Amino acid sequence: MLLEVKNLDAGYGFLHILRNVSLSVEKGEYVCLVGPNGAGKSTTLKTIAGLISPIGGEVCFDGETISGLAGYKVARRGIAYISEEMNLFSNMTVHENLLMGAYTVRDKQLEKNRLAFVYALFPQLEGRKNQLAGTMSGGERKMLGIGRALMCNPKMLLVDEPSFGLAPLLTEDVFDSLDTLIKEGGTILVVEQNVTKTLDVTDRGYVLEHGRIELEGPSAELARDPHVRKAFLGV
Amino acid sequence: MITEYLKKLYETIRSVAGITVVLAIVVAILSSIFRGPYIIVNTVVTGGMLALMSIGLALVFGVMNVAQFAHGEYFMIGSLTAYYTFIPIERYLGANPNAALSFLAPLVSILAAFCMGALMGVLSEKLIFYNLRKRSRTNWVMNSFLLTVGISVLLVNGHQLIFGTELKGIVRYWTGRPFCIMDVFVSRDRCYAFILSVLVIGLFWLFMKATRTGRAIRAVSQDETGAQMVGIDLSGIQVLTMALSCGLAGIAGASLLFMFPSYPSVGLDPLYMSWFVIILAGMGNVLGAVVGAFMVALLKVLTMEYIGSGWDFVVPTALIMLILIFKPNGIFGSDVRGVLEQ
Repeated sequence: MLLEVKNLDAGYGFLHILRNVSLSVEKGEYVCLVGPNGAGKSTTLKTIAGLISPIGGEVCFDGETISGLAGYKVARRGIAYISEEMNLFSNMTVHENLLMGAYTVRDKQLEKNRLAFVYALFPQLEGRKNQLAGTMSGGERKMLGIGRALMCNPKMLLVDEPSFGLAPLLTEDVFDSLDTLIKEGGTILVVEQNVTKTLDVTDRGYVLEHGRIELEGPSAELARDPHVRKAFLGV
Repeated sequence: MITEYLKKLYETIRSVAGITVVLAIVVAILSSIFRGPYIIVNTVVTGGMLALMSIGLALVFGVMNVAQFAHGEYFMIGSLTAYYTFIPIERYLGANPNAALSFLAPLVSILAAFCMGALMGVLSEKLIFYNLRKRSRTNWVMNSFLLTVGISVLLVNGHQLIFGTELKGIVRYWTGRPFCIMDVFVSRDRCYAFILSVLVIGLFWLFMKATRTGRAIRAVSQDETGAQMVGIDLSGIQVLTMALSCGLAGIAGASLLFMFPSYPSVGLDPLYMSWFVIILAGMGNVLGAVVGAFMVALLKVLTMEYIGSGWDFVVPTALIMLILIFKPNGIFGSDVRGVLEQ
């Protein structure tokens, strides 16, 4: 098991959000976490990424406990977190943002390879190399966010709302790029509100409601589940 | 290619920042023609050191969101360290003259001041800001500001308690005839102080632009969460920022020891001046602080020249009020998204 979350409890200050959340992701798997607004999907990712320290429970990555570690240490273990708002460095150029993504990579050759890989995945970014990240459109920012996360050659990606604020066509593009990554052997845990699309592309899914895992199983099965169909798909 | 650059240059000049800078240069040149070139020389020497102070202030505000009001005290620590390093060396030199050492002695003192300033910066971050940050980040700007005022009071009185209130100054660092530049005699100390400030600013700029650590500092100032996401250790960067900022103030204090002898509240004047600069330039804007420093220096020199030396605080303060009313982001705007705007 690459990532294993056991009985996780987390929240902000007095606000207790996640209760007893357990989930796991195998190497090479494409897993989604879906659920209504305010269910705690983003909180789950932030807790795994170390940006929030858990109240209880454990997060194991690659056989080692990582819960309670600071965010930068989790990032150095090989978990790349892509937040909803991207958290780009808006006064740096696209190129500088990508170089910052490789902050933990000491090997110049590897850095070069990763840069080439990202530019091959998102050719639009190469054309805008010297543009400031803050002046780019939503879709390009999303690509840059994913590209920056890929620069450190992560073992796993945590993606929060890849379709957030994007036009449908651009959403397709972003999902296509995640697909490419899976085909190349990557591991992804994605959080989404667009349940139909997500269950369509992922291997396995978890349904989070009111801070608890309500359902889990292969995505195709979840898409057929009466509860999911009623609550999220509107049928 | 060239037309593109010209177009870009033209657009920059047409912006508020461009107009102000061009205006400042024109005023400087005109007043030098009418009153004598010493105006430019004075502006440039004062501006260089002011820039060192302001860079540190802008950096700490940009990276840590701390409104630093103890910055003048690191200037004081720098001048004190330089004094106590330079005097023994000078005494030794009096007994056994040595040309190379007497050229190097001031540099050694300034280096010692940098190290001492940086050390005090690390201590203040580790002992004070780190603990406040760990306890609570609510109302951070106000709380950290009050802490800096506290640090300032502590250091000023600490100086008074340990070293007394008398002026601890030197006549000059470098002996020798003054240099003659554009028919103005400029003392060697002023000349070297300016060269030193240009060198340090240049090195600092290179560090911020071209090195991995420098980029990390900029990254933290632009997005703290994003910086953590790419694996930057925030607390390390915060310690480094504080050390750099206070070290630069120490350099300024040490290189101006011949003008400002060290005494407990010597840092107040440079502190106010550098605050003028970063309000003018935009809080947290490091490059703007360099340009702004020269503009404030020019303003100060011109006020003394045309109105009288008692007015050199009044005119900049009045200008700061106007800026805060009409252009609160400063004329260069700001690169940083501080907690104030979140």
